[in-house]
Amino acid sequence: MNVHQILSGAGPHDAITAEARMFRSHFRAWGWLGSDYAARIAPGLNSGVSSLSRLEPGPEDLLLLHHSAGTPRLQKLLALPNRKLLLYHNITPPDWLWEHAPMVAVQCAIGREQLPEIIHAVDVTAADSSFNAAELQAWGATRTEVIPLLLDHHRLGAPQGRQDGRPPTVLFVGRLSPHKRQDDVIRAFALYRRYRAPQARLRLVGEPITPAYVEQLRALADELAPGAVTIESGLSEVELGDRYRSADVFLCLSVHEGFCIPLLEAFHFGLPVIARPEGAVPETVGDAAILVDDPELPVVAELLHLAVTDASLRAELQRRSERRLAVYSPQLVARRLRAAVEQAANSNH
Amino acid sequence: MTEPEQALEHARRQAAAMRKGGAYGESEAELGMRAEEGAGTKLYEWALIEPDLSEVRSTRAVGRPFTALKRLLVRLLAQYNGQILAQQTRFNVTVASRLAALEARIEELERRGDR
Repeated sequence: MNVHQILSGAGPHDAITAEARMFRSHFRAWGWLGSDYAARIAPGLNSGVSSLSRLEPGPEDLLLLHHSAGTPRLQKLLALPNRKLLLYHNITPPDWLWEHAPMVAVQCAIGREQLPEIIHAVDVTAADSSFNAAELQAWGATRTEVIPLLLDHHRLGAPQGRQDGRPPTVLFVGRLSPHKRQDDVIRAFALYRRYRAPQARLRLVGEPITPAYVEQLRALADELAPGAVTIESGLSEVELGDRYRSADVFLCLSVHEGFCIPLLEAFHFGLPVIARPEGAVPETVGDAAILVDDPELPVVAELLHLAVTDASLRAELQRRSERRLAVYSPQLVARRLRAAVEQAANSNH
Repeated sequence: MTEPEQALEHARRQAAAMRKGGAYGESEAELGMRAEEGAGTKLYEWALIEPDLSEVRSTRAVGRPFTALKRLLVRLLAQYNGQILAQQTRFNVTVASRLAALEARIEELERRGDR
């Protein structure tokens, strides 16, 4: 069988691109051929993904559409006679992006508008969380398979025990974008530092939605916690693993998540996780994180203090996070992926 | 030990106790929170297209000469680009104005309906 993957966009630090690579290696192992294409390819992605304009599938080939933003010339793609499987990764509501990244907002708005058309045209719909599946059903999908993101956390290296005697470090990993609310992370951290841990440090890691937005975050950090906040982009996997290893607590105040891989990466490194219960976050973390629906940032600051200082709480969260990671084991997810692809391939057109 | 399920309640109690002791008194402004601007204000702001030349850049590893070339091209095409910007801005501002007029009419009709 030939399975071609089609991505809305591909980039060197993009989770969907990383997942498509993992899919491809599984496809090869199962004896399936095919290539990967993207409507937009970011600079820095040197190989492995071709421009969508080069797609020329054979009549029996299956198309796996990873949908995470607007896809240009969609009608032409959907009109192809091939069997199709949609994997929906969710799309950021554009209202969060109009001010800072209008072109990205346009892509997100178009991507959401395209969903009913895609759902109507594909043979099988799938999503990487129940939250995303519910969105598909609201747009008209009748039955959606849930295939959690297939990623290998071991690529970031092994965890190591906590190092005592150094200042507490708070970490958040995620695109530097308004809906991820790094601004609130900085505010909560500033309160924590002011009242609980004057030596504490905050690390924000992620790719900027625009350089201007990162400058805004830097200005806020300089105002509220001068010298204590580091913002980094373009890290290698080794460097990212180091950031997790040197952290004491992971704080996610994002207000929109279709899955949120960094939560599982934090679990892999044994970090206690504090997160807002937004989007798919509650189902991703299960009972292995502290969910904070309180808008009061002093409460978040107190949770940071608790997560850093209460050794028993940390140990219990670590035990639970190990159990949670087992749910997302690559073997289990690969089995679901294979079932969905075979279902699409064998569907009556 | 605090169970994960009790952590939030524990933190709320601690925050309240700290407040009584004089902590956590920062205002929203002191935490860098901006007052939300009205949607109408934003619409007019966005309607006026004002590209920032500093945003014209290359993302290549050795991008400086490409950035310089792109900026030169923008300068050379300034007259043509100016025409496009003017036409697009004319459309944007007209739409924003019409929208504001429509909103005012709807509000007026709703007011009459309430009477």
